[in-house]
Amino acid sequence: MPEPFSSSTTHRAGSGPDLPPLPASATELGHLLQRVATGDRSAFAKVYEATVPKLLGTVLRILNNRGWAEEVVHDVYIKIWQKAGQFDAGKASPITWMVTIARNSAIDELRKQPARGRAPEEELEQVLSTEPNAQSRLEDQQTVNRLNLCLEELEKDRRDMVRMAYLNGWSRVDLATHFDQPVNTIKTWLHRALKQLKGCLSP
Amino acid sequence: MTDRDDLDMLAAEFVLGTLDARERASVAMRRHSEPDLEALIVAWEQRLGPLAEEVVPVAPTPGLYKRIEQKINALEEKQARSTHDDNDRVISLHKRLRRWQWSTALASASAMMLMAVLIFQPTQEQGPQSFVAVFQENDQQPAFMLSVDLTNRQMHIRPVTAEPMQGKSYQLWIKADSLGPNPRSVGVLNENLKLDRTALRSYDPELLKEATFGISVEPEGGSPTGQPTGPAIHGYLYPTLDGESGQQL
Repeated sequence: MPEPFSSSTTHRAGSGPDLPPLPASATELGHLLQRVATGDRSAFAKVYEATVPKLLGTVLRILNNRGWAEEVVHDVYIKIWQKAGQFDAGKASPITWMVTIARNSAIDELRKQPARGRAPEEELEQVLSTEPNAQSRLEDQQTVNRLNLCLEELEKDRRDMVRMAYLNGWSRVDLATHFDQPVNTIKTWLHRALKQLKGCLSP
Repeated sequence: MTDRDDLDMLAAEFVLGTLDARERASVAMRRHSEPDLEALIVAWEQRLGPLAEEVVPVAPTPGLYKRIEQKINALEEKQARSTHDDNDRVISLHKRLRRWQWSTALASASAMMLMAVLIFQPTQEQGPQSFVAVFQENDQQPAFMLSVDLTNRQMHIRPVTAEPMQGKSYQLWIKADSLGPNPRSVGVLNENLKLDRTALRSYDPELLKEATFGISVEPEGGSPTGQPTGPAIHGYLYPTLDGESGQQL
């Protein structure tokens, strides 16, 4: 499998002239993270500036509660400060690494307190109305397009399940309630959808 | 379905986020010790990562960065304090050590006076794995200092007031319950009062943390019997931070 994020700095032009400039390229962010690993506060401030809207957007979409989301993002940046030395550019782009920390933290919090501040059915319109990807700002546009093409190949329900889970943090149980299916059926559907995606994305 | 498929689906659902709290915690734990699982998780993060592109960025409230900075400041102060506490612990260990050195050690080995040892264990889990023992002569000045780095099992012994003696050698000993009742020789110090830095390499770090070290004065070339025969210097604990030589506790 090719390195999907390895060329994310070189495709800005492909994003189109209408988009605001990138806050920082992947290469710049990677260098800043290396400085953060040495305890450089000014580099940390720059990383924060460049990435906090994305991370807060990610966490807020999962938790659906502004105050809670900022608490989690606070802790996420503490983790980034402490773990910057573990960032491995060979495994992920800097923004993917940070979004992964943010998503994992948000989903862990949500699983601990599922009732706090969310109403899954109300989010639904947002999930379903968002076109699979409009813009690419921090990632390689080709990689994004490729995933979107593969998602399009899934049945609509399966595609919605994957997006609700990834973007909104829905658990198997949430999905079972929404689709009015037993949890085991949801699990089976998820596995089929994931395998189909994997097959579609493999070279 | 093969086990490999099961593991791949576990990784995929972990990344997708659909597992419950217990399953997530279990995968988060396992990935550290299972490289296969870790690799599968990373591959799924790459596959699904572009989905995050459609997240709409949201500006944080203006005070958020300040709160993060304050937390980092607090964590760093706490870390500095805990290093300081470690030094206090070293000093408090000292009394226990002195009691111990004259009872147990002397009772078990007749001809020798094993001196003491020290070694302190940092409280920070991720803290430095460096330990220091100070060998004291006449309860006055430190004679030798021994530092041990457990992460790479390197040791370094340096004379403080000890001088080479004509026709005599200093010999370093280790004693631990799991090594039996008698001290075991670590090595004979050379004429510059040095010892191979890897001399403790074959010992388990946990054993080293519990062990007692002693230095005895032996005939040139080391003890002829395999056990300490001459007078020993005794040990004393010193803080490591301002732990240059000569500071009296």
